[in-house]
Amino acid sequence: MIKTLKRLTVTLMLAVTTGTALAQYYSGEHTFDGENKHEASVSLTTGKNIITGPCIGNTVHYKHYFNDHWSVDGGANLQYTKGLYGFKAKGEYHLKIRSFHMFASGEYMFNHYHEYNTNENIGNMSVRFERGYWDITLGGSLINYSMMGDHYTEPLTLTFGAHATLRPRTHEWNVGLLFRNYDDFYYENWNINWGLDFYYKFNPRWKMFGEFNIRPAGSMSQLASKYETTGKIGLIYRWK
Amino acid sequence: MKKSISYILMATALLAASGLFSSCEKVSPQGVLLGNTSVDDRVRQSLIYYSYHGADLDWDLTDSIEEYSFLVGSDSHVTFDPGRLYEMIEIGIENDDLFYCHLGDIVDTKPEYYSNTQFALYDATRTWKAKYIKPLIDEYHTADDGMYFDKRITPSTKNYLKPWDDWNLPFYPVVGNHDITHNGWSLFCDQFKTSFYEFTVKMGDEYDRFIFLDSANGTLGKYQIEKIEENALQHDNKKIRHTFTFTHTNIFRPSLNEFASTYCREELYYILDKLADWKTTIAFWGHVHAWDDRNFGDVRHITMPSMNFVDHPNGGDDLIVRVTVYKDNREPKVEPVGLYCKERSRQELISAGYNVSTY
Repeated sequence: MIKTLKRLTVTLMLAVTTGTALAQYYSGEHTFDGENKHEASVSLTTGKNIITGPCIGNTVHYKHYFNDHWSVDGGANLQYTKGLYGFKAKGEYHLKIRSFHMFASGEYMFNHYHEYNTNENIGNMSVRFERGYWDITLGGSLINYSMMGDHYTEPLTLTFGAHATLRPRTHEWNVGLLFRNYDDFYYENWNINWGLDFYYKFNPRWKMFGEFNIRPAGSMSQLASKYETTGKIGLIYRWK
Repeated sequence: MKKSISYILMATALLAASGLFSSCEKVSPQGVLLGNTSVDDRVRQSLIYYSYHGADLDWDLTDSIEEYSFLVGSDSHVTFDPGRLYEMIEIGIENDDLFYCHLGDIVDTKPEYYSNTQFALYDATRTWKAKYIKPLIDEYHTADDGMYFDKRITPSTKNYLKPWDDWNLPFYPVVGNHDITHNGWSLFCDQFKTSFYEFTVKMGDEYDRFIFLDSANGTLGKYQIEKIEENALQHDNKKIRHTFTFTHTNIFRPSLNEFASTYCREELYYILDKLADWKTTIAFWGHVHAWDDRNFGDVRHITMPSMNFVDHPNGGDDLIVRVTVYKDNREPKVEPVGLYCKERSRQELISAGYNVSTY
């Protein structure tokens, strides 16, 4: 009996210690959990766009964490009905400053709009600040496009975004609200994308995520008007 | 404690933002999320007008005319004093420009601003009619017939002869975002009738095509795009020489500190592709209040500065442009035109008969 009680006490203490130890690792989105260095995701996007009509497509993504500070990732976007194909590569540096997590990133993105035979090259540098329930992103994008034998580079565009969640980032499930002028595979000028996102962690390796986006045309002094509505659902797998 | 401070800061920021938006006449707070005027509805309404009056907009110039010109202005943002708009038309009448195009944000949305603009345009219409519209008295018509003609238009064509009241100032606007804030479309529509239309100018055997597109919400919208693809505006097949397009929201942002929003990505490329498809000679854009002139593909894109008193209290040498189109195949000439009138005081406006009740 005493032996059983001792075992139980040690087990409980170990469980508590392990929980505390895990909680010390910040396991918010896109952050190294201290164990799994590889992360792959796949998602399905579907929706409607006033130019291209109904749209459906896939994105795939791979991220490698070198350590708690440095990571690189790459992704591809295949929007079949839109005729939009793209890929991107990104490097990110993570730093914990008191209770904030700061992520500085540089990204290159390429998009091909098949219908208009347009190629788009985008360079972006951003800084994201995260706390338990919210994050904000600020940065700049250089967008170049070429079509009809000509090309144009837009003046530097401000990149901005804000995201707030119902639960802390370490929680096993979450629902959030966001607005931003970019998404996984585009950077806009001042056109804001409003969204609701969620995730559910089945276990430390598997996570389901989703997003519902409203991307209106018109912003600031322009009255918003329907442009694109999309839903996205996907799975993330992490491994050592 | 730290959490409480965060919440207080967030609440303060939200309050400040809502206060800023709601106190601003130029922005509709709820419109940031959901506009109360739909581009699709405006285009539907415009097409009804166009189906009845589209052909009345066409110009068939007499054979003796070797060239014609038109003026383009943008973002007049009329509040109490429509002086700059009037000055543009006055210059056109003096120079014999054939017509006037405006790229939107004619008026900041308020009923008295619209009534002042209407007053100024009625006044300008009187001056224009006095110069160009004459009673037709010949072997077939007497003064009692009450029919009037414009000598620049080919006799026997549809628009040559009309009763006095049917002659209107040839002022062709598109709608801008500030024209429709706070349900301004009803005011705009009452005065200018349409936001999506086209007309042609026939000189010799060829036609120049003028297309006016509604982009006040930063998009052409699904319905307008459908109608563009259906060629809904072309009422017949004509041999087109030059095509000129006019719309409010710009594509090219002249520099990084110009924050005006443009089109979403796919639409931006759709529009550039469509302009090439139309073999557009010059595409005119407004909205950003800054001058830009560039060629992209085979299309010349001119983004116009604003002509309002706030941006240019003392006027300027290049606030509007004159485009001259020639009968031969020369490229149209674009030249800057200055506007210099100063904003009038409240007393001066009252004396001139303008409504300044909320000045």
